[in-house]
Amino acid sequence: MELTYTPEQNAFRAEVRAWMAAHVPAEPLKTLEGREGFDQHVAWERTLASGNWGMVTWPEAYGGRGLDLIRWLIFEEEYYRAGAPLRANQNGIFLLGPTIMEYGTEAQKARFLTPMARGEVMWAQAWSEPNAGSDMAAIRSRAVRDGDDYVISGQKTWSSRAAFADWCFGIFRTDPDSKRHKGLSFILVPLDAPGVTIRPIRQLHGETGFAEIFFDEVRVPVANRIAGEGEGWNVAMATAGFERGLMLRSPARFQAAARRLVDLYRAHADTAPLGAREAVLQAWMDAQAYALNTYAVAATVMAGGHIGAEASLNKIFWSELDRAAHRTAMSLMGARAELRTLENSTANAWQEGYIFSLSGPIYAGSNEIQRNIIAERLLGLPR
Amino acid sequence: MDFRLTQDQIDLRDAVRDYLAGEHGPEVLRRLDVEGGRDAALWQGLIGMGLGGLLVAEAHGGLGLGLVEAALVAVELGRANVSEPIADTALVAAPLLPAAHQAAIAAGTLKVALAHPVNPWIADLAGADLVLAGGTTVAPPASPTPLDSVDPLRRLYAPLPAVADDDALLERAALITAAQLIGAAEQMLTLATDYAKTREQFGQPIGGFQAIKHHLATVAVKLEFARPLLWRAAWALEQGHARAALHVSHAKVAATDTAVLAAETAIQVHGAMGYTYEVDLHFWMKRGWALAGAWGDRAFHQHRLAAAVLDGDMTLDPDATFASDILLQAS
Repeated sequence: MELTYTPEQNAFRAEVRAWMAAHVPAEPLKTLEGREGFDQHVAWERTLASGNWGMVTWPEAYGGRGLDLIRWLIFEEEYYRAGAPLRANQNGIFLLGPTIMEYGTEAQKARFLTPMARGEVMWAQAWSEPNAGSDMAAIRSRAVRDGDDYVISGQKTWSSRAAFADWCFGIFRTDPDSKRHKGLSFILVPLDAPGVTIRPIRQLHGETGFAEIFFDEVRVPVANRIAGEGEGWNVAMATAGFERGLMLRSPARFQAAARRLVDLYRAHADTAPLGAREAVLQAWMDAQAYALNTYAVAATVMAGGHIGAEASLNKIFWSELDRAAHRTAMSLMGARAELRTLENSTANAWQEGYIFSLSGPIYAGSNEIQRNIIAERLLGLPR
Repeated sequence: MDFRLTQDQIDLRDAVRDYLAGEHGPEVLRRLDVEGGRDAALWQGLIGMGLGGLLVAEAHGGLGLGLVEAALVAVELGRANVSEPIADTALVAAPLLPAAHQAAIAAGTLKVALAHPVNPWIADLAGADLVLAGGTTVAPPASPTPLDSVDPLRRLYAPLPAVADDDALLERAALITAAQLIGAAEQMLTLATDYAKTREQFGQPIGGFQAIKHHLATVAVKLEFARPLLWRAAWALEQGHARAALHVSHAKVAATDTAVLAAETAIQVHGAMGYTYEVDLHFWMKRGWALAGAWGDRAFHQHRLAAAVLDGDMTLDPDATFASDILLQAS
């Protein structure tokens, strides 16, 4: 155990801090869940890429910097400390990217990773279906082999930012006689392909942040499949591990939110509800605990370990701490919490954050599913 | 930056865990509950494991280890519900005493009771050879006044009058107490999980029902995020970091909340069996309850944290998570 940053790690932090101070937009961008805001966020992705900050952990050959996970954590800490925008391509860089790194061919890595790191191609996730939500193995969308192509038909839903993205990744049934987890394959589909129809869905906040995707005999080359035919479930579970575990929700995001929450509390201490003082402190404590645990997980992964069902512990913790922190912010704002735009004509970011936090315990596998996974795989209770 | 236990630390933990699993099972708790008092053979066994000298320099007959190792061992003491005063004597007091006392502690011939104004009692005052009080040592009173703890295996006595504050003692004792709470919580989760696997209702083990699964999973989450707080506190205190006291408070609050949740959940999962004295669970539930209030209760440590985080001018920057730049003033 050595809980001290090296001089090199400190120098790296200083480098990130200086770059962010010079480049992070002074005015907050519009919401990532709407068209205008999404485009602003894509522009920011390109700015990031211009500084070679697209995805620091990836090899330089794919647009990264070849840095380890400790430096990734430092990068994220400085990123959110600077108030930098959310990542428009989070489904790509944090979920599909690591999946391709682990399961993709060299050709697929070259083809997909570099444009992802450069902010040139935006990705959406296409997993859930109307009758395959928590029960994802009930997937029915088909990919029928036809020579060197798959012909895809079916429907995906709750696909985050599909209305704005360029490509999607998903799992499709390639063996028509298969059941449940077998016979599924992980396939990448361009969203401008003939036969793809996107129907945006308005979310709780009113923006069309997610969408349904309809596939009507959409033809994609077999080369768009990641890993072997029929191996889609295992690949998807690895992706889900990235989603629930280390990458998607770095602790820095919650540490920055906790810090803003402390500021909000200080500004409203005289009118704060009785429980707010404890709740604000708890939010700060939980963000710290999440950071420490992530450093421990990162050290384990760097030493060759893998994240398994433990990712479910993580997912519950960050999603519930995020909701609690934002609920506390709403309580501190009192009646002003209702206002969508505040006195100085800025959007009520705490309100947007609270609404978004309500999705945390649902997406990436509902927390009820996560608790089942913990009980069955970590505690060994019967299925 | 490497937030992992070393192989030596893991080996130490496993050795202590295995020893206690073999020599300090629930039958020992039941026997001690009937017989009362302390058990010289158990004490000698712990000394034989080298626990007396864990923090004592090798030159004085110890192992020369640090607070991370001490916290690891204390987790195991909590898991086994050890009541012998080994944690107070060896893991808290030893490094605060002169070399001759340390050598005696390593050899198992000196037991130390801890007096501090934060506690309305002194544990194991009868049987102690020395009392550490206000940064100095005093002889124990000839006939201490016993107090009655809800924990049948604790031995509490009325506090000494006018004991001065002692921050070094408080921080160390709070850390070791937090570690024991974590151990107790882990054991309660284990007991409840084992029960849920074997107890059948409606023709199946109750652990197959989601209501039970979700209760136990929530405890597992709580534990997962309490443990790293303990390691950071132990590390920072060992290194003398300026924020070590805050890290100790954070670890103590989290360990307390975890132990309370584990206890209430374990009782609920055991159903009516959980409300009986016959099921061993109550030993850990009561130990957790007792330790939750020991060495600064939840409110004490929350107030310390809130004064710094909410009211103070401490930096909340993310690089302060492991900050070591400001060292504690030597006391």
